[in-house]
Amino acid sequence: MRTASQLNNGETSEIVGVDLNHPSAKRLIELGFTPGQNIELIGKSIFNDPVAFSIRGTVVAVRKSEASCIKVR
Amino acid sequence: MNVISLVGPPNAGKTTLFNYLSGQNLKTVNYPGATVEYNSAKLQKKFGIDAQLIDTPGIVSLIPASLDEVVTVQGIYNNPEYGVPELIIVTVDSSQLSRHLLLVEELLESKFRIIVALTMVDILERKGFSVDCKKLSDKLGGVPVVKVDPRSGEGVDKLLDYAKKLLSEPFDASQIVPVNEDSKHLIDLYKGIGKIEKEVILSKDKTVKPSSIQTSLHAPDELTLKIDKFLLSKGVGFLVFILIMVVMFASIFWLAAPLMNLVDQFFGLLASWTVELLGKSFITDFIADGVIAGLGAVSVFVPQIIILFLILGLLEDSGYLARGAMLIDRPLARIGLNGRSFVPLMSGFACAIPAIMSTRTIPNRRERLLTIFIIPLISCSARLPVYALLIAFLVPAGHALLSGAILAAIYISSITITIIAAGIINKVRGIIKAEDKSSFILELPTYKMPKMSVVWKNTWTSTKTYVKSAGLIILTFSIILWVLTFFPNYNPKIDTADLTPAQVEAQTQVARINGSYAAELGKIIEPAMVPLGLDWRVGVAVLTTFAAREVFVSSLALMFKITESKDDYSIQRSILKSMKNAVAEDGKPLFTTSTVIGLIIFFIIALQCISTMAISRKETGSWRIPLFQFAIYSGGAYILAVIAVNLLRAVGVS
Repeated sequence: MRTASQLNNGETSEIVGVDLNHPSAKRLIELGFTPGQNIELIGKSIFNDPVAFSIRGTVVAVRKSEASCIKVR
Repeated sequence: MNVISLVGPPNAGKTTLFNYLSGQNLKTVNYPGATVEYNSAKLQKKFGIDAQLIDTPGIVSLIPASLDEVVTVQGIYNNPEYGVPELIIVTVDSSQLSRHLLLVEELLESKFRIIVALTMVDILERKGFSVDCKKLSDKLGGVPVVKVDPRSGEGVDKLLDYAKKLLSEPFDASQIVPVNEDSKHLIDLYKGIGKIEKEVILSKDKTVKPSSIQTSLHAPDELTLKIDKFLLSKGVGFLVFILIMVVMFASIFWLAAPLMNLVDQFFGLLASWTVELLGKSFITDFIADGVIAGLGAVSVFVPQIIILFLILGLLEDSGYLARGAMLIDRPLARIGLNGRSFVPLMSGFACAIPAIMSTRTIPNRRERLLTIFIIPLISCSARLPVYALLIAFLVPAGHALLSGAILAAIYISSITITIIAAGIINKVRGIIKAEDKSSFILELPTYKMPKMSVVWKNTWTSTKTYVKSAGLIILTFSIILWVLTFFPNYNPKIDTADLTPAQVEAQTQVARINGSYAAELGKIIEPAMVPLGLDWRVGVAVLTTFAAREVFVSSLALMFKITESKDDYSIQRSILKSMKNAVAEDGKPLFTTSTVIGLIIFFIIALQCISTMAISRKETGSWRIPLFQFAIYSGGAYILAVIAVNLLRAVGVS
């Protein structure tokens, strides 16, 4: 199972689940990272972290350690 | 009177609607016990509803993650000033329906009485879609849904008709329940929202399959993606970031410098006019040296503050500031900070007070406290007049490039010291007592042309707040200092034989200061000044900087005001002249290259601002952190300055 932090630049994938035990899970869900949604990794910061995802028509920057709680197909 | 709250996610047109409804009769108030600002105003009379309108900061959900969100959400549930609102108008960007309906659902679950104002319908229609208000209203359990364009006011009448109707019915505030914070419940809410979106958003082009509507709705802004390809890339993105920072600092110094000179000369002129107009007297001296010099000290760095806030505002409104925070997150995380510390640290270059307040957006307590801890090390604009004066002393006139280089060196060392200090304080156990899971999740807004009117208004408000809060303190201390230097020996007896009137005046002033309260105070701290190669007069000037650092300049002017030439109106030039003539008791020059460098080092590091300590105590909840800050920074500054002065002297620098 891959996580959103492992996506490549420009790659799109579907969210299949969110690890609810992760402390950042709630905020990510609030911002629209829910199962069934497509996300695209649109950019990485210097040093590859944080990364930016396109989600539900907007762009959200997330640290890799936090993006790892988003499971993707 | 009724209370209507405006609630909505960021960038959903909430504030534009607020301004339309209130006729821009903005009244800026603070939540009691907190400093997050919200706007409150009466609904315009022409709308025929007697109601108080409250604007709230943008939020995505009723579950708060950071301190500013806690305050915002509390203000919605039970406003400290107005209580539970009888009605909430929720702004929802119709092109962002799938995300913005979350807040609507949460408000409904908490049993608030709401109206949904659908904004940005024109953007949705340009994309080839329309939204069915009636159906959306049904899906939300009958809540009124109105299309509104807050810029033109289209739809506002209908919105207010609903408001009038709802407000005429009784509302029981005791039914309000807290929001369900369960993550699984949030996912369920989103599932429902997805279904609603499918039903209410229709494509104008009938050949488009309903299944592909959501795909194209959820595609991000094309232009933003294209720009981000460059600005978030490793090479170009990093270069642009550095470039923006350099341009920002360059404009703070080189754009502001001529303006600051103008302000400086204006107050110099004003003081000499006062003397000419009122003649030499006790009152004249008070007005010219106490009041006008104090006002000058406040005003001289207003240009710089305006420029800094203007640039920060432009960066924020264009959408870049959030990217800046993302790009710098990793390096900042290494020293225990957060990408969200970026904006507070930047604001610190203007003034530590608004900077410390803005740390409320940092959700992690430890990172927030550490950011507050190191903000006083950032060279705020109040230090600039001091640097300017001291550099002018070191560098002969006409060497602008060299002065610029020294100033740049001062700022670079200040930033370096800040970074090192953050790293050390983060590592030393027990200074920051908080452990928290670090997080960086930040929405990157769509790029757009900044609206000058908005940027200018925010700049103006920030500058005004600053002048009001810092100005009063600075003015008060200038006046106190004048009293201390003028009394009790205000009419000293001197031997006037064989002296010109100008010499008599000069000697009178010297005698007056030497016999003043300030001298007595200064003599107490003189032992601390001697290792720095300075005397009690500079000591008094340093003491006064605890009101505000820039007071140092006017204090020096008062303490060393020996000659005043009639044809030179610049305060700075006349102080420089006095500084060059000032001698210690042993007859040697007081201000030399080594002692001035020592002073610069002291000013780079020392925490000498009572207002900063007060705000630090308020925001951290105890005196522990401000006292630590004071001890570490001012103590360290003193030790380093003494070492520098004596090292320089040892190698032969005078």
